[in-house]
Amino acid sequence: MEIDSEKKTHERKQSDYTCLQDEGFEIQKEMYRGQQYSQIYFARLHLMRTLLYSLAPTWKPHLPVCKVLGLEEGKECIIVGTLFKHMKLKPCVLDEYSKERSVTPLVKPHNFMHPDDTLILEDESGRVKLGGSALSPPVYVTGVVVALHGKETSAGEFFVEDVLEAGLPPQIERPFNLKEDKYVLLVSGLSIGSSSSNPLLFQLLVDHITGHVSDDEELGLAAQIVHVVIAGNSVEFPRKLLTGQNMASKDQSTLYEPIKELDIMLNQIAAGVSVDIMPGLNDPANFALPQQPLNRCLFPGSAPYNTFRSCTNPHSFDVDNIRFLGTSGQNIDDLDKYSEAESKLDFVERTLMWRHLAPTAPNTLGCYPFTDRDPFLIETCPHVYFVGNQDKYDSRLVKGSEGQQVRLICIPKFCETGVAVAVNLRNLECHTRSFNIQL
Amino acid sequence: MNRAGNSKKRPPPSTTLPAGKHRATGATPSPSPIVGTLEDEFVDEDVFADEVDEESLILRDMEEREALSARSSTWARPPLSPAYLANSQSIIFQQLEIDYVIKEVHKELLPGSSGQAAVIRIFGVTREGHSVCCFVHGFEPYFYIACPPGMGPDDISRFHQSLEGRMRESNKNANVPKFVRCIEMVQKKSIMYYQQQKSQTFLKITVALPTMVASCRGILDRGIQIDGLGMKSFQTYESNIVFALRFMVDRDIVGGNWIEVPAGKYKKDARTLSYCQLEFHCLYSDLISHAPEGEYSKMAPFRVLSFDIECAGRKGHFPEAKHDPVIQIANLVTLQGEDQPFIRNVMTLNSCAPIVGVDVMSFETERKVLLAWKDFVRDVDPDIIIGYNICKFDLPYLIERAAALGIEEFPLLGRVKNSRVRMRDSTFSSRQQGTRESKETTIEGRFQFDLFQAIHRDHKLSSYSLNSVSAHFLSEQKEDVHHSIITDLQNGNAETRRRLAVYCLKDAYLPQRLLDKLMCIYNYVEMARVTGVPISFLLARGQSIKVLSQLLRKAKQKNMVLPNAKQGSEQGTFEGATVLEARTGFYEKPIATLDFASLYPSIMMAYNLCYCTLVTPEDVRKLNLPPEHINKTPSGETFVKQSLQKGILPEILEELISARKRAKADLKEAKDPLEKAVLDGRQLALKISANSVYGFTGATIGQLPCLEISSSVTSYGRQMIEQTKKFVEDKFTTLGGYEYNAEVIYGDTDSVMVQFGVPDVEAAMTLGKEAADYISGTFIKPIKLEFEKVYFPYLLINKKRYAGLVWTNPQKFDKMDTKGIETVRRDNCLLVKNLVTESLHKILIDRDVPGAAEYVKNTISDLLMNRIDLSLLVITKGLTKTGDDYEVKSAHGELAERMRKRDAATAPNVGDRVPYVIIKAAKGAKAYERSEDPIYVLQNNIPIDPNYYLENQISKPLLRIFEPVLKNASSELLRGDHTRSISISTPSNSGIMRFAKKQLSCVGCKVPISTGTLCARCKGREAELYCKNVSQVSDLEELFGRLWTQCQECQGSLHQDVLCTSRDCPIFYRRMKAQKDMATAKQQLDRWSF
Repeated sequence: MEIDSEKKTHERKQSDYTCLQDEGFEIQKEMYRGQQYSQIYFARLHLMRTLLYSLAPTWKPHLPVCKVLGLEEGKECIIVGTLFKHMKLKPCVLDEYSKERSVTPLVKPHNFMHPDDTLILEDESGRVKLGGSALSPPVYVTGVVVALHGKETSAGEFFVEDVLEAGLPPQIERPFNLKEDKYVLLVSGLSIGSSSSNPLLFQLLVDHITGHVSDDEELGLAAQIVHVVIAGNSVEFPRKLLTGQNMASKDQSTLYEPIKELDIMLNQIAAGVSVDIMPGLNDPANFALPQQPLNRCLFPGSAPYNTFRSCTNPHSFDVDNIRFLGTSGQNIDDLDKYSEAESKLDFVERTLMWRHLAPTAPNTLGCYPFTDRDPFLIETCPHVYFVGNQDKYDSRLVKGSEGQQVRLICIPKFCETGVAVAVNLRNLECHTRSFNIQL
Repeated sequence: MNRAGNSKKRPPPSTTLPAGKHRATGATPSPSPIVGTLEDEFVDEDVFADEVDEESLILRDMEEREALSARSSTWARPPLSPAYLANSQSIIFQQLEIDYVIKEVHKELLPGSSGQAAVIRIFGVTREGHSVCCFVHGFEPYFYIACPPGMGPDDISRFHQSLEGRMRESNKNANVPKFVRCIEMVQKKSIMYYQQQKSQTFLKITVALPTMVASCRGILDRGIQIDGLGMKSFQTYESNIVFALRFMVDRDIVGGNWIEVPAGKYKKDARTLSYCQLEFHCLYSDLISHAPEGEYSKMAPFRVLSFDIECAGRKGHFPEAKHDPVIQIANLVTLQGEDQPFIRNVMTLNSCAPIVGVDVMSFETERKVLLAWKDFVRDVDPDIIIGYNICKFDLPYLIERAAALGIEEFPLLGRVKNSRVRMRDSTFSSRQQGTRESKETTIEGRFQFDLFQAIHRDHKLSSYSLNSVSAHFLSEQKEDVHHSIITDLQNGNAETRRRLAVYCLKDAYLPQRLLDKLMCIYNYVEMARVTGVPISFLLARGQSIKVLSQLLRKAKQKNMVLPNAKQGSEQGTFEGATVLEARTGFYEKPIATLDFASLYPSIMMAYNLCYCTLVTPEDVRKLNLPPEHINKTPSGETFVKQSLQKGILPEILEELISARKRAKADLKEAKDPLEKAVLDGRQLALKISANSVYGFTGATIGQLPCLEISSSVTSYGRQMIEQTKKFVEDKFTTLGGYEYNAEVIYGDTDSVMVQFGVPDVEAAMTLGKEAADYISGTFIKPIKLEFEKVYFPYLLINKKRYAGLVWTNPQKFDKMDTKGIETVRRDNCLLVKNLVTESLHKILIDRDVPGAAEYVKNTISDLLMNRIDLSLLVITKGLTKTGDDYEVKSAHGELAERMRKRDAATAPNVGDRVPYVIIKAAKGAKAYERSEDPIYVLQNNIPIDPNYYLENQISKPLLRIFEPVLKNASSELLRGDHTRSISISTPSNSGIMRFAKKQLSCVGCKVPISTGTLCARCKGREAELYCKNVSQVSDLEELFGRLWTQCQECQGSLHQDVLCTSRDCPIFYRRMKAQKDMATAKQQLDRWSF
């Protein structure tokens, strides 16, 4: 797109975009046929175990590798299995049936940790309680596959001496021939229709992307944006209207209004630059991960553009051979409820080290019961790994032992902060673009 | 053979097969059908020498024996110290069981006597954990009769002779030199009726054996010819007392206390009779019984064995011992007072993959499994055997199974050598419990404690399945594997059998956890100590034996004797407790409750009501007692006051109550948790005992009924309630200087509800206290009226039915209290319970009556619109007999029959609980024809009958609640606008639907269309309709995930499919429904992907 101005013409930079990895997140053909969650755990364990077994000889060359069943008291060995965290405070669907309805509503705690939480390691043959201080329960969650070095004690516990995580996956080589600055703009939590959303803010964002700005410098920046990703929670509408009964026409419009507004905005963006929209927790999409693309019938205005793509959550794509992987935030929010870390980025980094996008699925995070695969395994290390709908912006570059470099990004909620995140494809550096009107 | 199982404990021999995926296919017999295994075994029996290489067999046997002996050492009790071995130490032990055996007289201890005698046998455990079997010699059974007037000391020998003669006739085959050992004259007093004379003459008749007491009593009852006196029949005294109890009373031994036998006073025989570590004989006079105080209130380290068995039933049948094998036995052994079991093992038929922390023992034949268990029980030597329903199922099954297999040595499970376990059917009936049938299995020296019986006895629950009991007490759902799956798991491989073993172990562990959680051992031992009966009586007998035991002990101190009750004589009834007329309504002012603290015991104490203070009407006229020394009760009986004769019952009660006060005070002081447990158990036992004294006197088929006492107690109770009402309403009036007139709105057995009229809780509390103090002052001590709590608001529905918020402090209410309102009855569906609780919550706590009505209307509308979760509509009933046996057709009986026709394997059997829902059917169909299996309903979209639920289930309880608070409740709630629209699902299997053609319809308005998703008219509403559709899917997905992960959690495994089919579990149907709904919702959603 070209923008005429008095001094100079800014031309939108071009880039190659491919989105092949999302196929794994699609569940079009799959049906609910009575399958259960055991299979996804089985698939996860199977793949991760092959990987960890291959690492074990270099990690602890002298130790034999055992299954949980093969443990012998006092004998040091390595076992590989899925962790299960036994949590005292974990909410439970059976609580609804408990004898007494509690008189005072429970204050929902920020997270469900308790000092008595314990870890258990399980493989398909059995489970064993874990002891020792090498493995700290606050750090790990149910569903992570690890290798442990230790021995069985007389009490039937496995005393852990050392832990091996899968670590950063191998990475495709990053192209170094990029000479110019090109940006991918990441934004999440537009929450159109919520009480805190400000239509002006969103318009500023759109104008910035499309180059409807007077400032030449800003215009230059705008022209460098080659791709926009909206990472979940774009609209918010009152769910209580959706009771299954027929709605009054007034309610129909309150429901439809935010989506219509979003469609108009997307229409403007898509006319200028390619845009991906991912579903989030509050969007009109399914609940369980992977969330399927928002239906095109919701966007009659933008859907015809070939620059508009409705994508899955999680979402993975390549821009100029830079691999992006991201979610709308549910995986990290769930980790925040069931484990502890100093910052949200630590959770993000952990999932990468565990090579699993959402270890707590299906345990505490809704997920489709896959039968033959676990789509959340991270087999290839992305160059940019982003997580949407976080409280504040944060970013760090992680370097792996095999030369991998990953940019981790927490995208803040736009409606609360007015902040979008721009990633430079040339050097993976990233900065925020703030649209706060007060500033 | 059991290599897979032992590889963990033994140094692995090179041949050991690795566990896990590669099953021991070569070494272990491939899982053959059960019949085949049995045949193999019989072959094994007869001709194994020809078939199997004998040498390898011996080798294998040795290997096996080695493994067993290695285990034996960990199983055995601690070895005896030298002091014990040298007999130089007194033996102090806590006794658990006292019974007697008939043996030859011990010549050393009782020189000069011969023949057979009853020997008291006491089993117990020392502080160090040694098992003790103590034989007590020299104690002889006896009873009393009143000495007939005119009989002097000289006549006794003649009487003795004729009695001896009659006894000889009726006991022909007894081997005793003398039947009636001796008859003495003693001075005693009968407990019945007030008597002025100090004592009268009784004859104490001592017989040779305990069984002879009954035959001797029969002879004396019927009458006996005595020279010089003619034909005479006698009232006997204390002739129906169990011998062991007689012994305990006479030696001051109470159940579960510590007994000491000093060094030198006991003798050990060379030939022992039992497997106990310390077996000895002593004279009964040498026993020292320690009162359970201080050091002697503690518990010995009993060994508690908790076990569970699994049987492989045939399809469609509940396992029967004649046909179906025992395939697994899981055992846990815990020392009393420790929180973790020290032995965990499981014995399996055929190979089983190892389990961490559990000793898995696999055997090729069922015979070996059973024998291994027998050896295990002998080696571990448990004092207490616990389990869930072991008395009715597990133990009888094992014994019958062993008999069916012809294993003769199996039933040697007791502590006594060569004594077989005896089994008989027993019926237990008591007023409190009703009649129950069970099997009684006697394992000598081991106390059986069936948690099912104990919980059934002590707690009122809606279901007593292990699943719901553990959900109730441990708040844990248990995985329930249907017995048809058990056989499949057994016939699978080592891994599936391991699955089963894990399940079996869990079932063995739960009883132990329940035992700990409910503090059963402490509570039962304390109850035995307080009431003085052996512990085994507590489970096997009713309330009355406990009171009898206390009465006997007290009477003995007072030199009194108890007459034998004439069985089933006067079956009089008397007026029960009073209930003041309830002024129904919804009270929005505080209601104060005034309670009489333990009313009945206090009345008995205050008015000195007892057997021995009751004056017969005859004596009232004759004796001319001064009026200041007697009380005439409102029911017209006369009792003397304390000044003339102190009653025994009041004395017992006083002791119980002061002991409880002491226990409670000690409880506050106590720091050690184990000591606390003992004291808490004690105060509870004391409370229960005090309250059961009244019942004892009123039990018409009891040991010593005396309706004069019980009717006097209730008549006093009635009088007091009415008196209280009068006092309150007279004193607290505006005339008396109070702000409002007080009003008694309701009164039950021992409490009175007063509305003082004041609007705030604090003022009501002050007035309540004042009233309680004032009225207490007008009653005789120790009757005391206490102010306990305030209800605010209070919904009084009718007699015995009310609900309200309880306040014990003016700042904040404590909880919601309901009585007599259907929330727990199990023939109601869950919907009723939810509706009632939620409505009460809204009315009482939120004070939002319109909101409650709105909620009810919405729910009713949901019900009619078919939007209710099916699991809320499930009704369950126990199947007690097969369908044909029911005289009146019942919904669940009929359904069970229908299900059997559909699939015999999964149909409910007798004893199972049958869950069902009521479905729509042809007009005029009977209710019992409309019952259907919920699963079947889910699978086939069968419409339920909302009207049945509306009219037969929810209307009554709801109206009861709403009538006091809402005008026209019935028309408002049950017949309003919200009941106009109805939606019924179309069944997918009904006749007509087979001919119907399915056609696409518009998602929006259901108009038939040929292609696409929406009709022309609905185009443009895509976004709205899609949002609706997707939000449904999203809700279902969330639910689906929560439900299925919860089941994984209960099951304790992430990598295995959930098998549980526990229909008691509240989420079972929801889980199935979520799965099905998910599939349809997903299909619907897929229509949008155009």
